[in-house]
Amino acid sequence: MLAEKYAARIDQIFSKYPTKRSAVMPLLHLAQEEFGYVNEEAIQQVAVLCDMDPTQVQSIAGFYTMYSERPKGKYWLQVCTDLACALRGADKFHKELKEHLGVEEGGTTEDGLFTVEHVMCLAACDKAPMLQCNFHFEENLDMDKMKARIEAWRAEAAAEKSGAKKASAKTKA
Amino acid sequence: MVTAMTKLVKVIIDDREYDFPAGMNLVDAAKQVDVTIPVFCYHPKMKPVGMCRMCLVEVGNIQKDRATGEVLLDDSGNPQIRWMPKLQTACTMNVSDGLVLRSTSKAVDEARRNVVEFLLTSHPLDCPICDKGGECPLQNQTMEYGPGESRMNFEDKKHLDKHVPLGDLIFLDEERCIQCGRCVRFQAEVAGDDVLAFHERGRDLQIITVSDPGFDTYFSGNTTDICPVGALTTTDFRFGARPWEMNSVPTLCNHCPVGCNTSASTRLDRDFGGKTMIKRIMARQNEQVNEIWMCDKGRFGHHFTRSEDRLLQPMVRAAGGSLSRETWADAVAAAAKLLGDANGSVAVIAGPSATNEDLFTLKQLAAGVGSTRLGAWPPTHAGADLVAKVGVGKGTNLSNLGKGDAVLVIATDLEEEAPIWRLRVKTAHDRGAYVVVANARKTRMDDFADAVTMYQTGHAATAFADLRKQHPEVAERLINANNLVVFAGAEGLTLDGSRALMQACANFLIETNHVGRANNGLVGVFPGANAMGQHYLGFSPEATRDIIANPPKVLILAQADVVADDPAAAAWLSKVETVISLSLFDDEATRQAKVVLPVQSFAERDGSYTNGERRVQRFYTAQGPIGEAIPAWQAVARIAEKLGQGKARLSAAQVMNDIVAAIPAFAGCKYSDLAKVEAQFPQVGGDDLYYGGTSYKNTGGLGVQIASAADNGEAVALGDVKADAVKGDLIVVPTVRLYNRERVFQASEAQLMAARVAAPYVEINAEDAARLAIHDGDMVQVSAGAAQPVKVRAHVNGAAPKGTVLLPRNLQQTATALTIAAGTVTKV
Repeated sequence: MLAEKYAARIDQIFSKYPTKRSAVMPLLHLAQEEFGYVNEEAIQQVAVLCDMDPTQVQSIAGFYTMYSERPKGKYWLQVCTDLACALRGADKFHKELKEHLGVEEGGTTEDGLFTVEHVMCLAACDKAPMLQCNFHFEENLDMDKMKARIEAWRAEAAAEKSGAKKASAKTKA
Repeated sequence: MVTAMTKLVKVIIDDREYDFPAGMNLVDAAKQVDVTIPVFCYHPKMKPVGMCRMCLVEVGNIQKDRATGEVLLDDSGNPQIRWMPKLQTACTMNVSDGLVLRSTSKAVDEARRNVVEFLLTSHPLDCPICDKGGECPLQNQTMEYGPGESRMNFEDKKHLDKHVPLGDLIFLDEERCIQCGRCVRFQAEVAGDDVLAFHERGRDLQIITVSDPGFDTYFSGNTTDICPVGALTTTDFRFGARPWEMNSVPTLCNHCPVGCNTSASTRLDRDFGGKTMIKRIMARQNEQVNEIWMCDKGRFGHHFTRSEDRLLQPMVRAAGGSLSRETWADAVAAAAKLLGDANGSVAVIAGPSATNEDLFTLKQLAAGVGSTRLGAWPPTHAGADLVAKVGVGKGTNLSNLGKGDAVLVIATDLEEEAPIWRLRVKTAHDRGAYVVVANARKTRMDDFADAVTMYQTGHAATAFADLRKQHPEVAERLINANNLVVFAGAEGLTLDGSRALMQACANFLIETNHVGRANNGLVGVFPGANAMGQHYLGFSPEATRDIIANPPKVLILAQADVVADDPAAAAWLSKVETVISLSLFDDEATRQAKVVLPVQSFAERDGSYTNGERRVQRFYTAQGPIGEAIPAWQAVARIAEKLGQGKARLSAAQVMNDIVAAIPAFAGCKYSDLAKVEAQFPQVGGDDLYYGGTSYKNTGGLGVQIASAADNGEAVALGDVKADAVKGDLIVVPTVRLYNRERVFQASEAQLMAARVAAPYVEINAEDAARLAIHDGDMVQVSAGAAQPVKVRAHVNGAAPKGTVLLPRNLQQTATALTIAAGTVTKV
């Protein structure tokens, strides 16, 4: 339950707003962080927290593109392909990135690590091609740089995985 | 709306000058002077949102000299107008002094053409199979304002789900939706249940619900009326008939005291032997009664009229004991003989759906054989006589309640007992009226109240005294309200307790000078459609109690299903020598009758009801006859004729003439008076489908409200309040659920309402449950007073106060307690 796990953070979020309802968006972000995407569970829990009807919460999650209602890879890569970025080769970059990872638009790699999709302007036109990975910017990209980043993320994920394994082995011992 | 207080402003619409009350929006203002500004999303019953862009118009202002305030003139002497650089949405702008509006111009026409063309790019244009086809605002406005051709590449058209159940009663066709949000706004603003919302955006935008329960309010059908396209349709009617093959017959809903004006869409139908059949029921506008709304029970609860269980022929019990079919003449003769031989030991018990005409004829028949014992069924709610004295004043319209006014709802679960009053009190609350709910338990109405006060079960009558003592600020607001309407029911009260409460309400209203004026006074939340008619025509629950205590030789049951309602009925009925039953159905009481006379439902006949606000309203024959059933008044009149009491009348209208002549309260209630209509705002319906949807215009009459004694200037005196409360460790309170297994709801229930009717249950307080070792969901046996114990499921859900169990009536075939009684609950 979000309410128990993040009690302090939730209190802090509520403290910023005059009514509980106003806190629905940051709480949805919190839920997305927790569940990987905004699933049914997230909607129900946020609805209870904000004292709103779940339908209204779902509506908000549906309207804003930064909430995902489908499962995403661990690294959610959103490539800006708007006009300014396209002029600096973002279209080509986007296409090559998908080919490199072997995914369709909006698809997730089989290992569950990467989701690639194109998005509208992220306000970093001068540093295109660029993308945001889990809402953090990666700028001035080309495929060489990108391949290196991808390897780094794969290593990071593998390390986390084995670390988790070791940790669970330790607790077992 | 328009009062003397409202400031008038001068507005020029299409070169002509008009005065409008300030605050009115441009669409409504233009409509008042017959200038049409087309709309899709705007609806006068809801706040404007300016989403569909169909109402774009040219708006400007007459220029004035800032220093002198003089109107500036151009070279040719006309006022200078500064036009706004872009078109404006008329629904989101209000009239103001010097405003100039052009409803048609090149720019406006082009804007409308573009809006329609754009809307149609994602519309399936499946009008030939669409239920709305023929009465569709989108169709009409496409013909009127659309481009005729589209530049859309139809390969790019979005295809979406066409059969999405939003609830069990309403289907959404995602392709047809034009995203006006009327349904979403209706749920949030009018019904107060925001379970619908938009999801996604742009072309992907859809109406969704993920609530639990979902789109399941008692008002859901209204969204299909106001939907300006065929996106929302009812499970009951969809694909049932085409609008142009149906006739619209003005009728009334007879399920509750609100008396919603309805319109039956009928056609000759194969499924009904080629006779005229009701295909659907929709709301008919009566701003003072139901506005343009109705509840789903009324909308879908018409199937009973064609039930296979309907009685088709008169029957008479032979000497041997079994009922056999007879001709009307023989059955009437048999009934007349029984009544004639009764030596005056005759009584009548009339049910809640007997019309004014039925009741009057019954009263005359009884008088003719020397009886004045006229009982009203069910005998649960007293005080109709007090409503006749201090009921809401003539001209009352709940829509006029707002800031400075107050409403008190006491001893009733208004949502379950009279849904449209709940809806209208909710909207009054939104307009600023101070709403107080006083009950012995929580109800849905609490969500729309400014103050909720609880009294101990059964102690409603002392609630006013308590209010003054314990919540002086609440009492103060009620006392000082400009207008005060009190809705009083009888939940958790005995018949005497109910009288005490009604008297206490009447006293409070008299003391605080809230009687004899429009928008002030008492409304009884009585069972059925015609409790006030029962009162005016001499039927009372007290008489019923007397009939039960002192059984007559011959008892006439007129559409009173006493055995289904009252667990003690079998016992007291057995003491009556002879029962004559006028009934729609072969019910328990009918099975004990000597003479059974099949009568017509509201659908097959003319008649009138007197609603809870004392408005006499008439309904018209909508459906073809069933079997040999005739109107109850006619059956009664034929018996009277046989007894030599005079010739039977030929029509319901003639009976009403007799009522008008005999009963002073009904003065001015001839059928021709009841049929009078006048212009109402907003002008819904009509051929232009102006505000869209298919809420029907009223062509059948607005009815006539009977003046209360206070209205007539008669002195109304305070009365004694004799509190009467049941004592016991555990008190069983019968409650009313809107959807239940009462006879008239069963047929529709089988077809589509089955899932909506709750399984039999009892609600018990957590403390009591713990004491009795009962858990939520356990099967328990409930016994109350002398009633046969019933086995139901226990709900320990916080609904029942301590020491009280709530046992809904009519959720099962066996009758449960009709009135409050001490009882026990045991686990089985």
